[in-house]
Amino acid sequence: MEEKGYNADVLVIGAGIAGIEASLLLSRSGRKVYLVEKTSYIGGNVIKYEEVFSNMECATCMVAPKQQELLQDKNIELLTLSEVETIQGSFGNFVVKVKKRARYVDLQNCIGCSACFEPCPVSLKNEFEQGLGERKAIYVPCPGALPNVPAIDTENCLRFKKGEDCQLCKEACMFEAIDFTQKDEEIELKVGAIIVTTGFTTFDPTKTPQFGYGKLSDVYTAFEFERMYASNGPTGGNIVLKNGESPKSVAIIHCVGRKEKGYCSTVCCMYSLKFIHYLKHKLPDVKISEFYSDLCIPGKSYQKFYEKMKETGVNLIRSDGIEVSEEGKGMVVKHKSGTGEENGLAVDMVILAPAIEPRPDAPELSKVLDIPQDTDGFFTEEHSEFASVCTPKQGVFIAGCVQGPKDIQDSVAQSEAAVGKVLSTL
Amino acid sequence: MKGEFTPKIVGFLCNWCSYAGADLAGTSKLKMPPSVSSIRVMCSGRVDPVLVATAFLRGADGVLVAGCHPGDCHYEKGNYYARRRFAILKKVMETLGLESERLRLSWVSASEGPRFQEVITEFTEKIKKLGPNPVKEKTSL
Amino acid sequence: MEEKIGVYVCECGPNIADNVHIDRVLDAVSGLEGVVVAKRHKLLCSEDGKKFLKQNIEEHGLTHLVIAACSPKLHELTFMNVCEEAGLNPYLFQLANIREQCAWIVEDKEEATEKAIRYTRAAVSRIRYHTPLEKKEIESNPDVLVIGGGIAGIEASLLLASKDRKVYLVEKTSSIGGMAKEFKQLFPKMEPTSNILEQKVQDVLKNENIEAFTDTKVEEVLGFFGNFVVKVKKKTETEENEFKVGAVVVTTGLNLFDPTKLSRYGYGTLSDVYTALEFERMNTKGKILLKNGNPPKSVGIIHCVGREEKGYCSRVCCLYSIKFARYLKAEIPVVNISQFYSDLCVPGKSYQRFYEETKEEGVDFIRAQDIEVTESNGQMSVNYKIESRKPKTEHRNVDMVILAPAIESSGDSSEIAETLNIHQGDEGFFTEEHEKLGPVSTSLEGVFIAGCAQGPKSIPDSIVQAEAVAGRILSSLIPGRKLEPEVKISEISDAFCIGCKTCISVCPYSAIVFDEIKRISVVNEVLCRGCGNCSAACPSGAASHKHFTFRQVYQEVMEALR
Repeated sequence: MEEKGYNADVLVIGAGIAGIEASLLLSRSGRKVYLVEKTSYIGGNVIKYEEVFSNMECATCMVAPKQQELLQDKNIELLTLSEVETIQGSFGNFVVKVKKRARYVDLQNCIGCSACFEPCPVSLKNEFEQGLGERKAIYVPCPGALPNVPAIDTENCLRFKKGEDCQLCKEACMFEAIDFTQKDEEIELKVGAIIVTTGFTTFDPTKTPQFGYGKLSDVYTAFEFERMYASNGPTGGNIVLKNGESPKSVAIIHCVGRKEKGYCSTVCCMYSLKFIHYLKHKLPDVKISEFYSDLCIPGKSYQKFYEKMKETGVNLIRSDGIEVSEEGKGMVVKHKSGTGEENGLAVDMVILAPAIEPRPDAPELSKVLDIPQDTDGFFTEEHSEFASVCTPKQGVFIAGCVQGPKDIQDSVAQSEAAVGKVLSTL
Repeated sequence: MKGEFTPKIVGFLCNWCSYAGADLAGTSKLKMPPSVSSIRVMCSGRVDPVLVATAFLRGADGVLVAGCHPGDCHYEKGNYYARRRFAILKKVMETLGLESERLRLSWVSASEGPRFQEVITEFTEKIKKLGPNPVKEKTSL
Repeated sequence: MEEKIGVYVCECGPNIADNVHIDRVLDAVSGLEGVVVAKRHKLLCSEDGKKFLKQNIEEHGLTHLVIAACSPKLHELTFMNVCEEAGLNPYLFQLANIREQCAWIVEDKEEATEKAIRYTRAAVSRIRYHTPLEKKEIESNPDVLVIGGGIAGIEASLLLASKDRKVYLVEKTSSIGGMAKEFKQLFPKMEPTSNILEQKVQDVLKNENIEAFTDTKVEEVLGFFGNFVVKVKKKTETEENEFKVGAVVVTTGLNLFDPTKLSRYGYGTLSDVYTALEFERMNTKGKILLKNGNPPKSVGIIHCVGREEKGYCSRVCCLYSIKFARYLKAEIPVVNISQFYSDLCVPGKSYQRFYEETKEEGVDFIRAQDIEVTESNGQMSVNYKIESRKPKTEHRNVDMVILAPAIESSGDSSEIAETLNIHQGDEGFFTEEHEKLGPVSTSLEGVFIAGCAQGPKSIPDSIVQAEAVAGRILSSLIPGRKLEPEVKISEISDAFCIGCKTCISVCPYSAIVFDEIKRISVVNEVLCRGCGNCSAACPSGAASHKHFTFRQVYQEVMEALR
């Protein structure tokens, strides 16, 4: 490396599907890759989905082989529970400081038997399951998560939070994998280029109270519904109301937060249509109504999917002015049609499709990386038409939803494109 | 019917979906009868019909072929070939005097640990009801 | 050489040991033919365990290694590496999964032990039929053929060409630049196209590592990933040009749906009905004028022309229709513009704003159905229905109509699909390898697709795909590096093959070719990905799947039935 005057190694930030793809491709070319991931697991949002449109392919079957390959790849150094703190230098010679939080579970010694979960006395809502399931203070986000090594959540662990001398997990471990003496680390990396694939979050629907989210018990976000349907999720894939019964009628509301955000999130129409498939698969007699404004299903295969879903007898209602309220035991979705008529529809369950938005830590990361955010908070590309994976800062590339809302196919294409840019210039 | 009949079932599992689903059932500690011996193959389409027939002739009480859901095949369309062969095999079994229910084709994805448990439990129950492979009696003569 | 099989059962702490009588497993395999040693260990995947295995392999001179432990998904590679370090061919190793698929799922310890014995015996029984497999290295050519000189082809060529990688860019028309060069400005920033595109075209022409052929057609592509032989022919010449490449990129772009197929829009019969492309050209060349030489006072832009017929949304029409309103307002500030649309499709972070700003300039957006363009007494009119309880027909008089026709696959797609042996979907676009994870590769390794050849998309998305192709090629086809194909692939025995071609029909990767001289099927080692479908389909037993041979799997079946 030295004699060339530049470093060919690459830092990838974010181990979602875009980050995984980019890392694997770079490794295949022989590059050393540092993959920095904030959480304790890899796979990002994609591993929360049971199936993906439009082929309704099982997401785990699709991603798990990639995750396995990544974990076994000798060119890729995965740093979980890690965040980039500072970056210095320029294209070809970046110096990156990473803060790696302690997992308190040894990655080598742990064999993933999960014996440590049971004795843990702390029980709390599992964020990965969108709060629909519970977890312990030592936990993996869901069965099958990779790496299959738990982490201790120091915010909630009695030992770390309250200073109690609890070591039930340590006692349950037969492999000396639990190590309370682990310390957070500062790691310095030298790389030539950086690919940012930190993904997205979704709009908080409590900001739009008309949809009843947070007030009415059976109003769910798309991610909550995904986990409810997931066979490795908190209900084992059963679609149930809070009272334990199956819903007889479901309303799916598109474009939640679109007006507030000022853009179309690209994927909501398609995944809302996918939910028809989910619902009909588990509850063939359920009545489904989709409330939408404009159907946005671009691409060669999506309309066919839409037509297939339409055949299930779903009620597609173009409307605005939607309000969800409680009525009797159920709920009513009030809506206005294009011609101004007002109507109400009684349903048991409401699923909201909230807008895709930048992650809350995007401003901070933008500062660290010294790359700009656009008016919507997504990272700005160097040129919107001709260089959408490059940033104004040479050597820093962006791919996936960090650049703007998009589907998995386009995220993967961007991550491969970022690799193309790196390999052709560095 | 014998009370103590424990069926011997051969389970061909595709590497990418069903074997992973079976592993997930294990990771989730889902209990099931021990009757199925799993054999890992790269694709359900690799399951040679001759192997299935041989298994029955050699006394298998049941054969399970499990692969990716239609459309999910890691090799594009291997599971469709498996399905086609499966349909023909069922016919052949009937001519051999074997109940065609002894052969089962199931789609189990990598995230469907509980479904794997269900498939194994149900299939074992079914075979128990059917009793031992009748061909075994003939061939052992 | 006498076989010496070592069997090692992992306790995995309590995970296996608590629910399996390991000593009984060891007893059950100790007497088996070829087994020279059977031992247990607390945790084989640990550093200590790996050392223990290595020592044992050396000490006992093991020729085969069987481990009964966890799932191969977890530690197969770990133990294969141990074998390699100990000088044992890693394919002479078999892992029996007695944790995930035995100890963890069987309630009763007796039953779990029986099952563990069956699995371990099966592994021993199978491994006797293992053969050492070796990684192969195959020479490859790093050069690339790019078919289609539009923006995607240009972008791919520029990224790929370097001093040790030559790019052959083949364009069927007389110049490179593609459809994008017809566009004056681009949405949403209304940036002029010409500067950037012209620069890129010049970069291609000046690049000494890119050989650009215009008026040229690809006649033949033979070979496989890393080793293609290509024949191209210029229209004006009779002689063919032949060269060797390692990969092929298809960026053949698009056609527009022909609106004469739908007489209701009046295209071809009424004088001032234009397609989007005709309007772009009119605007690029000069003034926006009607056939009578006057500027239009009112313009109707009709979206989704041919969408119903094609069965998909073309993704960009809403946006360029909005852009047309900008063109018109810039040229003729007083013009009345009406957009007739069904669903407004403006996905992405900046497009809705582009729409809203255009609407504020006084452009009407009308959600309309059953649109028809008619003319009476020299006045054109757009007639349409609007959404309401009772069907209601309205109309607007316009001087000019612009149609936004659907994007179709390029006219020569079928021919190219045949030449390259890649697939087209029902809609005519080339099919990607995987809808989500392989958008720019195809089922034929080494052949890539980008831009509208893969499906309707915008210029930035086409460029991203072209860059993605570069990512794929640059990471796998490296000058001076040999290709290392998959080891566990299929092979077809010359002696047993009866030449029925069944295997060829079931291979998803076109990895089997027919040797016309010997009249047998032959597996291409670079293309085969080892699914084993051919070996299941072969009626003569000639096709065999390495590491999953009939004999190996048969042994496992027999042990399952013991």
